[in-house]
Amino acid sequence: MNKNISSIAFKDNNLIIKNSSNSIKIEKSINFDKDNELHIDVSPADQTQRIVLDVDTHDDETFNLKIFLKINENAKLEFLDESTYKGNSNFKLITKLEKNACLESYKLNKFNKNKINNFYHDCSLLESSSFKDYIFSNGSKENLNRTTINLNDINSSYLGSGVAISDSTNSNNVVEIRHNAKSSTSDCFFKTVARGNSTISFDGTIFVDNHCSKTISNQVSKGLLIGKESKINLVPKLEIYNDDVQCSHGAASGQPDAKTLFYLTSRGISKTEAEDLYIKGFLSEFFDTIDNAQMMTKAKEYISLNN
Amino acid sequence: MIEIKNLNVSVEENKILNNLSLTVKTGEVHAIMGPNGSGKSTIAHTLAGNPNYIVESGSVNFNNKNLLEMEPTERSLEGLFLAFQYPIEIPGVSNASYLRQILNSHRKHQGLEPIDAAEFLKLLKEKSALLKMPMEMHSRFVNSGFSGGEKKKNEVLQMDLLNPKLIIMDETDSGLDVDALKLTADVVNQMRSEKRSLIIVTHYLRLLEYIKPDYVHIFQNGQIIESGDHTLASRIDKEGYE
Repeated sequence: MNKNISSIAFKDNNLIIKNSSNSIKIEKSINFDKDNELHIDVSPADQTQRIVLDVDTHDDETFNLKIFLKINENAKLEFLDESTYKGNSNFKLITKLEKNACLESYKLNKFNKNKINNFYHDCSLLESSSFKDYIFSNGSKENLNRTTINLNDINSSYLGSGVAISDSTNSNNVVEIRHNAKSSTSDCFFKTVARGNSTISFDGTIFVDNHCSKTISNQVSKGLLIGKESKINLVPKLEIYNDDVQCSHGAASGQPDAKTLFYLTSRGISKTEAEDLYIKGFLSEFFDTIDNAQMMTKAKEYISLNN
Repeated sequence: MIEIKNLNVSVEENKILNNLSLTVKTGEVHAIMGPNGSGKSTIAHTLAGNPNYIVESGSVNFNNKNLLEMEPTERSLEGLFLAFQYPIEIPGVSNASYLRQILNSHRKHQGLEPIDAAEFLKLLKEKSALLKMPMEMHSRFVNSGFSGGEKKKNEVLQMDLLNPKLIIMDETDSGLDVDALKLTADVVNQMRSEKRSLIIVTHYLRLLEYIKPDYVHIFQNGQIIESGDHTLASRIDKEGYE
């Protein structure tokens, strides 16, 4: 079981930090009238530690947040962002994983359909560190998720899984994975569901530098077009400068299978319910990538809550 | 129950049903037999509202309502059930949650509260036992990885759960072994009542030996070319359609 070591909550213009252990050190926090900036240092502990970010922002202001997260050698951290962004937001996360450090990150946010929300994540990984990254994007008018991963040392690994669901909104998702050291691995799996007149894009780049032999990298992106006027742009890119690698990418998008929708509606459920079931099936592969049972349940609740 | 008059149906601009007329009264069991491509499945899918089947002309009255004006969802909620010849696989959706959802849709339409998890489990166990379906099957995805026979049993299970007024079985017997066929027929015979009608589409006599129809119709070129009682099926089995 994971231990909930710390929670950080911005509520009613107050910053609340609760530590039940000294193992997570918060170095700096800045007042709300400026950009919120936190420096968090995670040291090893007996169990996986967890930071829960629970921001509840106002709809009439732009919320800016920057977190510097350093996960020290052999430390393990779960980072869970369950914030409700009622207004515009810019969240920058800069993480550094030291040797043998592990990070699991889950973004399960609630957005306002009329606002613009941006999330930037720059992550660098050192020897044998690993990062599992699960991103859900659902609901804001304009949503940008930009993730840059730098695998800077031998045996570092990244697993990125994302779901973007838009209902007459726009979502831009950019993932750049840079293999800067040999024997690093990455897997990127992204699913998109576009409803109404949504536009969703996924731009995935795998970069392997010329000295980075034994790199293993896979990328799959899939899109489901529910709305007749919806658009999905899947752009997989490979930039590989070494021959001794195993890299693959694939992208596919399409509409729900008409036979399946007929089968479901012929059982007495509405077309919308049938589409929801279809989406549930489509996303099930994504849930299979989450091996943390508690987080899988949260993710499933999040998806069903919003559909 | 259902009155089909002068129905003309095409699929991808190919005319399949030609001026078909058929009346099935409440409580009656009708069997439709015919060679491949004669239009048997077309009538089944047309009645269920498959949008690929285009009704060019004709009318279908279902319990004093114009069936052709209804969406597939509404047809089902009004009591029409089609057991598919090729049931669809839905990966990622567990059979149990799917079955509960379709049952609750019908309950909602009938003004009933949704069935709770415990009550549903009890009902599912009871209905599955009749078909000798292991409960483990319901934690698997809908029809995914099911054998041909298991898929057909799952169709009959849904039929039993939804308690429809008109059942259309589209070659449910294909893919079933002798024991499964008997089990399926037993469930259907239990469901047979004065308030329910059945249309059984089949190639073979064997299902009709267990579920004795009141009428047998022979289809050819999208028309009924001969009708009779259950002895007609035996004759076709011996002599063929030629």
